Amino acid sequence: MPEAGPLPELSSTQVSILGAYSELIDEVGTDDVSFRLIALRAGVGERTVFRYYPTRVELLMATSAWIERTIFTRQESESIFDVPIAIREAMEAYERRPELAHVVAETAMRGVNGSESAPQRDRFDAMLRHEVPSLAEHERLLIVAALCHLDSSTTWVTMRRELGMTGRDIADAAMWTAEALLDPIRDRIAR
Amino acid sequence: MEEPVDAQAAILASAVALLQERTFEDISYLDVAEAAGVSERTIYRRFPTRSHLLEALARWIEAERFPLSEFRTPEEFRRAVRDRFRAYGTAPGYAFVAARGAALSPTTEASSAPITVAILAMLDEAAPNLNRRDKQRIAAAARYFSSPIFWARMRAGFDMNADETFEAFDRAILQVLATAPEASWAA
Repeated sequence: MPEAGPLPELSSTQVSILGAYSELIDEVGTDDVSFRLIALRAGVGERTVFRYYPTRVELLMATSAWIERTIFTRQESESIFDVPIAIREAMEAYERRPELAHVVAETAMRGVNGSESAPQRDRFDAMLRHEVPSLAEHERLLIVAALCHLDSSTTWVTMRRELGMTGRDIADAAMWTAEALLDPIRDRIAR
Repeated sequence: MEEPVDAQAAILASAVALLQERTFEDISYLDVAEAAGVSERTIYRRFPTRSHLLEALARWIEAERFPLSEFRTPEEFRRAVRDRFRAYGTAPGYAFVAARGAALSPTTEASSAPITVAILAMLDEAAPNLNRRDKQRIAAAARYFSSPIFWARMRAGFDMNADETFEAFDRAILQVLATAPEASWAA
């Protein structure tokens, strides 16, 4: 199975900076946080923050990746038919940290300058190839694309914001939609 | 002193014009102030943070650049979404801003987007006997797959053009609609 992508090695100073910034985002949002405040919270000098992250955008992107990797971690699904459960669990995690969910959502919507918008793509594709080898390539792509869309903080953000749904309702709707997407291939697994 | 009411419109229109040349990150309040012919302070008063500005820009772009065609049935809804994705494809810079704005932590107590209201009305009319839970699930899925966020993810993560994105939307939405028993749909 392909890996989700190489994890860049972070120094302990970087971990302190990213951890401090995500705490502050959780408390006051992204806008009112100065580099000075981040440095203070991380216990490093302001110049150290600038040395690692020369601009606010670079700091935000690194923090967003760090949040995904350490706070919104997912239990790896062994089967594509386990993915709906993982999606439900992800929605519950976003519900616990709404500000962080928004940061991760927005940075994934920046196109080529943004964070990876479909990080599970290779993994879902590999599971489907393995479990439902009779699936045509094009149909597989459509399923992978739709599942990647659901397995994202943008799901939680949209359902909360546009439909005013509770965390429980969002977790239900996201999982249910993922199940519906898998309906046509439930009985097509390789024997 | 109150600046004229259309200062807001002038600010947004100027910012949108600047977006044709550069990304949102590369546009400063000073740039917008100069382009709109207002003071930087006026912009800060209306948009205290860049998130406020981005969210307002996204709304403005959706309303002015990507107006929604009316729909009352699932058929018409799918057609409206296809047209929407095609429109996004002709102005990707704007569509990404719409997607980003829709992903932000809301800065104001704004009401739902017009497409959300239209989807709910469509389901009430098309499937009057469907239970509340399933109706909410279908509405949530329909809303989320028709959003600029879906278009942006298909483009950035899957290199899909507008018609391919519509095809991915369509498969998902037909699958979701198929969960409701035939009898739930009004004749």
